[in-house]
Amino acid sequence: MKHLKSFNKKAKMLDQATSQGEVEEVVAMQSVVGCTSVNDPGWEVDPFGGLGSLCQPMESDLYGCADACWWPAQVPDTMSSHPDWSQDVAKANEDWRKIDSIFPED
Amino acid sequence: MNNNKTTRALLGTGALALAGLVTMPAQAADAESIIRDRCLSCHTETGESATPFSRISEQRKTPEGWMMTISRMQQQRGLVISPEEKRTLVKHLADTQGLAPSETDGVRYLLEKEPNVVESFDQLVQETCVRCHSGARVALQRRTEDEWKHLIHFHMGQQPTAEFHAGARDRAWFDIALTNVAPKLAKDYPFNSDAWNNWQKVNKKSLNGTWAMTGYMPGKGTFDASLRVSKTAADNYTVALEGQYADGTPLSGEGRAIVYAGYEWRASLTIDGVKVRQVLAASADGSALEGRMFERDDEIIGGSVKAVKGNVITAVTPSYIKQGERKLVTISGNNLKGNVQLGNGVKMLNVVSRNANRVVVLAEASKTAKVGAINVKVGRTSAKTALAVYDQVARVEITPSESIARIGGAGGPIPKLKSAYRAVGYAAGADGKPGTEDDLRLGYMPAAWSLKPFDEIAQHDNDIKYAGTISRDGVFTPGDAGLNPERRMSTNNVGNLSVVGTVNDGNNNVQGEAHLLVTVQTFVKPVLQ
Repeated sequence: MKHLKSFNKKAKMLDQATSQGEVEEVVAMQSVVGCTSVNDPGWEVDPFGGLGSLCQPMESDLYGCADACWWPAQVPDTMSSHPDWSQDVAKANEDWRKIDSIFPED
Repeated sequence: MNNNKTTRALLGTGALALAGLVTMPAQAADAESIIRDRCLSCHTETGESATPFSRISEQRKTPEGWMMTISRMQQQRGLVISPEEKRTLVKHLADTQGLAPSETDGVRYLLEKEPNVVESFDQLVQETCVRCHSGARVALQRRTEDEWKHLIHFHMGQQPTAEFHAGARDRAWFDIALTNVAPKLAKDYPFNSDAWNNWQKVNKKSLNGTWAMTGYMPGKGTFDASLRVSKTAADNYTVALEGQYADGTPLSGEGRAIVYAGYEWRASLTIDGVKVRQVLAASADGSALEGRMFERDDEIIGGSVKAVKGNVITAVTPSYIKQGERKLVTISGNNLKGNVQLGNGVKMLNVVSRNANRVVVLAEASKTAKVGAINVKVGRTSAKTALAVYDQVARVEITPSESIARIGGAGGPIPKLKSAYRAVGYAAGADGKPGTEDDLRLGYMPAAWSLKPFDEIAQHDNDIKYAGTISRDGVFTPGDAGLNPERRMSTNNVGNLSVVGTVNDGNNNVQGEAHLLVTVQTFVKPVLQ
């Protein structure tokens, strides 16, 4: 890495995280049951164990994640499993109160 | 039915605790006819007596695991099944194709809905499965190698994007999953096991009778109670819980329980107007029930519980006494008869109150009492190293050390997901240095709770103002869901915080910290994470 220079914010954060030896802490936060460690980008936790590199507010890009089945254990995938989820809510950032979660059937 | 056409269950995971009153032989016949009636549009009869139904007969799962599978068949494969039939099927499959107690060791936290568990699985499993869901979800299943391969194929068909994630797209992920991961899972979690074969032969004990239960509920504290269990049919019981919290507040509730696979206790109770669940495991000799009790509608609010039969001490509260200190100590258990004896340097001054389940004594530790954990005896019953004698609190650990909470509410349908903390005190031990192996664990101690930014980014973004608040009891309630126009780019009320617990020890305040990430909702609520 010594010949490469961090260019954008994310790269600088990564540089900082590794230089501070915080990798173990980052891994721990991503290993809490219920959190995904798919972090390109992350859902709950970013690659650095924080929140700074997440898509925020998450409603702005929610369907971009759901359509692509990116975090199927956190966001219902509308590609295969839950095609009707949120179909009546065109704009998540305006009507987020209408978006429910997927529950097991009785 | 809500306005976005999502199907949701009223009972959810709680349905397990309410399974019907079905006798065993009738249940087996009923279950097989349900499979024939409901499942054979897709599955087939194999003609093999050991594995009569395709796929179904080559897997073993927990009751929750079977519940989850059948729910998925309903939601995604068009299965039509009544709630009664589903309960009969879950009971039959968990009983005949379940897991032995030892096969659930170390991963029961998932069944118990224990929050904030940090998992550590083999790298291969971590990279393949635990990227999206818990490792325990895998470890609580048993399959033939072919079945593990089918599961991998299912994932590729259902969630093909898995191949494009970081950690997958840069290598032959699917080939690795099939050729390396499936055989490993078949070896680590095999369909045929001695543990299960032997467990099926064990003569299971009835859990009927009166038990002494101790436990902890966030916001209320430790409790002890009498759990009366009455059999109503095979594996079905009514339960009544009567007791009190450490501060003297009474506790009273009743409900029903069902036992799966001879040991998996699932109970639904209403305690003082609040619906709670018990997910416990019965010991093979039928003398102990251990697990977790939690609120049905707020699974974070719960704690470990243990119930015993026979003449046993279950808890000593508080579990510590300082040199030179005089204090009340409560000894909880079952059939507590006889004189109370404490260890060297700690005198029992008098018995303040007593019954068969609880003895409250006034104890005094001499100023020169030796630092260490002493035994507590009532008559012939002894609890080893149950009371820690200490000089001073040298350090405090906050549990859980890594935690998440999720924003919610604010008029939306998804509730806030809280997190709850406790402080564990330690004395330095013989070497006088805190943080070394000989530290003496004192147990849970009262603490004053506060929050602070975890890092500079959290400070800069003023997370502390938006992400939530912590109560005097150590329960963190996150902020409201939705966009917040007050924040930069209208970001959500997320935050990166430290939870600080301060334990007062005479003239000293000792602090411990835990990491709390307040994050966004999850829109998928599976039976098992």
